[in-house]
Amino acid sequence: MTAPLLTVRGVHRTFGSGAAAVHALRDISFEVEPGTMVALVGRSGSGKTTLLNVIGGLDRPDSGEVTVDGVEVTGLDEDGLSRLRRERVSYVFQNFGLIPVLSAAENVGVPLRLARAEPKEREHRVELLLELVGLADHARQRPGELSGGQQQRVAIARALAASPRLLIADEPTGQLDAETGLSVMALIRGIVESEGVTALVSTHDPVMMALADRVVRIADGQLLP
Amino acid sequence: MIALLARRARAQWPLLASLLAVLAIGATLLGTCALLVTRTSERAVEVAASRADPADVEITAYTVGVSPGNARSVSADTHGVLASAIAPYHATISTRASSVMRSLPGDKEAYLSGVEGLASRATLVTGRWPRAAADATSAGTPLEAAVFDNTARLLGLKVGSRIRLGEEMTRDPAPPLTVTVVGLVHPLPDAGWDRDPLAGEGFDPAPSDSAFGRQVQAYGPFLVDLADLLTSGSALDRLEVGAQPDLSAPRARDLDRLTTSVLAADQRLAAKLGDRVRIERVSSALPRTLIDARGQQELTAGAVLALALIGIVLTAIALALAGRLTTGVRADESELLGTLGTSRGQFAAAATVEALALAVLATALAIPASSALHAALTRIDPLAGAGLAARPAVTVPQVVAVAGGALALAVLLVALAAWPATPSGDRRRRRELLARSGADVLLVALAGVGWWQLHAQPAASGTRADAVRVLAPALLLTAGTALALRLVPPALRRAERLSARGRGLVLPMAAFQAARRPQAVAAGLLIGLGCAAATFGTAFDATWHASQRDQADLAVGTDLAVSLGAPPVTGQSTAVAAATGGTVSPVAQRNITVGQWLGGSGASPRMVAVDTRRAPAVLRGRGDWASAASLAPAAPATGIALPPGTTPSVIGRASGKVVVGVTPWLLLQDAGGLRTTCNGPAIPFDGKPHAVPGCVTRPGLSLIGVALPISGEPWAWEAVSTVDVTLTLPGASSTQKWTARAASPESAQLTGPAVAIDGDRIRMTGTVQFADPTDLSRTLVATAFPDPGPVPIAVSARLAHDVGAHVGSKLSIAYGVTPVSAEVAEIVPAVPSAPGAPAALADVDALSRALIVRGDLESPVTAWWIGNPRAGAEARVGALHLGTVTTRGGETERLTGSPLRASLPAVLRVLVAATILLLLGGVVLHVTCDVQLRALEVARLRGLGMSRRDIRRALLGEHAAVLLPLLAAGAVVGALATWVVAPLMIRSDTGAAPVPAALAHWPWAAETLLIAALVAGAGLAVAAVVTVQARRADAAHLRVAS
Repeated sequence: MTAPLLTVRGVHRTFGSGAAAVHALRDISFEVEPGTMVALVGRSGSGKTTLLNVIGGLDRPDSGEVTVDGVEVTGLDEDGLSRLRRERVSYVFQNFGLIPVLSAAENVGVPLRLARAEPKEREHRVELLLELVGLADHARQRPGELSGGQQQRVAIARALAASPRLLIADEPTGQLDAETGLSVMALIRGIVESEGVTALVSTHDPVMMALADRVVRIADGQLLP
Repeated sequence: MIALLARRARAQWPLLASLLAVLAIGATLLGTCALLVTRTSERAVEVAASRADPADVEITAYTVGVSPGNARSVSADTHGVLASAIAPYHATISTRASSVMRSLPGDKEAYLSGVEGLASRATLVTGRWPRAAADATSAGTPLEAAVFDNTARLLGLKVGSRIRLGEEMTRDPAPPLTVTVVGLVHPLPDAGWDRDPLAGEGFDPAPSDSAFGRQVQAYGPFLVDLADLLTSGSALDRLEVGAQPDLSAPRARDLDRLTTSVLAADQRLAAKLGDRVRIERVSSALPRTLIDARGQQELTAGAVLALALIGIVLTAIALALAGRLTTGVRADESELLGTLGTSRGQFAAAATVEALALAVLATALAIPASSALHAALTRIDPLAGAGLAARPAVTVPQVVAVAGGALALAVLLVALAAWPATPSGDRRRRRELLARSGADVLLVALAGVGWWQLHAQPAASGTRADAVRVLAPALLLTAGTALALRLVPPALRRAERLSARGRGLVLPMAAFQAARRPQAVAAGLLIGLGCAAATFGTAFDATWHASQRDQADLAVGTDLAVSLGAPPVTGQSTAVAAATGGTVSPVAQRNITVGQWLGGSGASPRMVAVDTRRAPAVLRGRGDWASAASLAPAAPATGIALPPGTTPSVIGRASGKVVVGVTPWLLLQDAGGLRTTCNGPAIPFDGKPHAVPGCVTRPGLSLIGVALPISGEPWAWEAVSTVDVTLTLPGASSTQKWTARAASPESAQLTGPAVAIDGDRIRMTGTVQFADPTDLSRTLVATAFPDPGPVPIAVSARLAHDVGAHVGSKLSIAYGVTPVSAEVAEIVPAVPSAPGAPAALADVDALSRALIVRGDLESPVTAWWIGNPRAGAEARVGALHLGTVTTRGGETERLTGSPLRASLPAVLRVLVAATILLLLGGVVLHVTCDVQLRALEVARLRGLGMSRRDIRRALLGEHAAVLLPLLAAGAVVGALATWVVAPLMIRSDTGAAPVPAALAHWPWAAETLLIAALVAGAGLAVAAVVTVQARRADAAHLRVAS
């Protein structure tokens, strides 16, 4: 049996204190096998984004432990977390998260620049990834000149640029129409299979859930059985 | 709507506080400038009046030809007219009167004088001061009189002597009277004796106004009590009443009335005195002094307004930036409200209410702030040094300026809110680009017109603070900055292309953001113009001060100048040198006539003659003056050394039957090169030796010339006589070769002049005729130097232009009444001590020789100039009481520290400080809003694995990439404006173009410090904001966004 790529154990996260305290995550524990696509499903405010942020090291839990690819995320300092996001974990944001002043190719190249890749190697990789997401002809266009679906494809290409082990996508189809959303989810599904990446995708769209290997449900900060 | 505004204000208070701060700064600047151009300006006129030189505010009423019976009433009425002209000010009034000449035995004449405050004008040598007689009107009652010590010696008088002054030498003479000498006095220098009939000399061998054409010698004054003189039955030749108004605490409005009143006093005096006097006149420099003060005040106010306008433009730009940023921050809210149905009118109403509230608050803050700032400014130099310290106060003009300014700026806010910048499509972008280009072109065109107007303003005096002068600097700076800003984006794009080739993310990300985001340079105009205004203000201050120094240098002409109140005396050069140290030069200055040309437009041509061999050490003003040494004669004149304590004598012989005589003039030169004359009484040609008692020699003197004006009997028109005059110099011995000539060869009344020296004797011969009645036509001049020929001169560019002279031109000059031939050796921009005037510079020795050979032996020296004097020289030479002492430093201080001009450097300080404040405030506001708007983007970079440090570095790099070129562009615009505009903005204290012309000065140290401070301040502000924002870039932003 292969070791899980992601292990979450007893994670708690509370915002505020006293009577106004909001328990965003309560004793969350689960594992994700490598090379699988897991759908994290729940209603708005159920704690999906908080959980993804904790897993990606963007937020720290009050208690509990998160391990990604053998690295205990909760024990890392700021630099360690930055390194984790550069080398092992990558994000796809709901509203794409592209940098407006950069072209599609430059956006995809950001993680490679962070990794200080050779310019030629970087250009080659960017070319491959844009081809992979079907946007080779749009390399020089800026986000404002692309459709929502195209922007999200660029965001996926960017997330794959540094060859991460875990791809975290926070409602990647939230701002897309059903057809485009489906194509994006299909793209992620295809990448999981072709690149061997592990994907953790939050969504509340039943159609999207069908593409996942496994569905993890969350409500009021707790995992549902 | 009000509730929405209140809630929004609570939520966005930092933003509103920023807007309020910008408004308050602008309004405070306006209020401070309003106080400077009103309250301080009025006070400056008052202080200037209170500090004016007494001679510049004195009012003197002159009356001439007063008959004996009217003397008292004329004096009283003149007092009355002056007192009423000066009211409400008190005045110190002093009177002096001189009688007409009375005869003395032996072709002599004398006069009485009454002088108030005699004890302050002369020292008592022996005896006592004269007292009023019990009854001066009683015939036969002797008047008590004091006489000058030299007059007493010449007339053989001593204390207790009685002397009978004969009848007045008029057509209706008063009877003789007797005076008793009760004291011998010595006149003090600078005590007004220049207005004495004999200029305080006590004796004149040939007074120019001798009555009835007789050759007489004049003596006097016999100083009697003034009241005695007025009641003695003597006719008054002249009566002067001088009034010195007490302007120690003047009010500006009263001063304006005083000007008018004094100008009208002349007519009032004429009406009052009628035909009781022959001539009457009220003369005073006071109206001109006060009018000039008002003119200077207006000039300074114009310059202050011009500089204030730069601050106001900057404030408006800062406010526009703040308004735009506010609109940007509120874009989502406005979109939402618009979607909910809020109309454009409602948006405008809300913006108006908010802007008005801000304007009211800003006014409430700016009024006390401007009062406090103004009071603080007046308590430090230069205003404090100018005596303009003031308590904090609120004035109507200040309140109007503050409230009006705040309201105008609030209107700008409303306009920005009502017409927000909207995301632009291609068509809109093209339209905006077109509008912006059009605005740039219009701005540049207006700036060009402003520069041309400044450039074309007349060089002559003028104090009109016209709109062009006020607007031009702000227009030029704004246009220059707008143009410079157009160069920044291409430079950033170039930097972006270069950095894109790198491997890392930090530098390329900074370059991408700086080059591609239009908002990155949103604060460009504010930052660029702020830096331009600050650097321009600093350089303008340096340029203004340098110009004042240059003007002072040229106006004084040397380091220390002593303008003599009386002709120089032997040994004076040694005394001056001992008091001052440094290099001392005698100087001759006076107005001249060039051919028939007396000068035009109020400027008379002027001759300035110095010891040009010492020119580089003595002369000041632009240029090294080394070439002036070529104006000096090839060799100094050395005469016959005279043993001290000896008295020369003269023997005259003449052929023919005409009775011939001579009044010998001896030209002596002391060790310092100063030439003075002495003469004896008229000597008959009787073959007997006659002593020249006025020429008893002193140590260090040598004789370098002799003039013999030969007189004969009137009416002997056809007579011809051969004269032979031998001057004996006891103890002297010489075999020098002298030259002799007729002082006036063109009259042909003296022919065959010759001179020969043999031991202690100088023998001069010639043939004279008597067809011309003037003695000058028969004056034989013998000198130790040859005929000097034309005097080489360096002429000012203006003189050369006015008379069409060029190098090598020969000019006929009248120096006084003496004709001098001159040749132009050089053309210089200006002559020291004669700025802007048509003037000529000559060597004093060369000029002196040219005058001597024409029979004018009087010393032309009117001043002493000292180069590089020792410390304390001014006080020491002042103690010699030779005349007015002026220094280069003192003149510079007068020009820069004058109360009428001190507001200019003061407002420059305010401008630079306000500019720095607005610039840094704008940077903070811009960076804060920018980083806030990009908080999510920054958080995403964190999500992509960029460390906080790298985010900080990228943001800092991005802002540095924008700020540094903008600051550099601003500094370049400031420097260009300094070169192009600053010299044109500077005027002299009379409102004319300064002479020498102002040159731009770029104070490298101060500018480097300023730019470093701006870079450091902006860098610190950016670093602080960026650090905070980078720290806040966490999951919270991502969560909110999601």
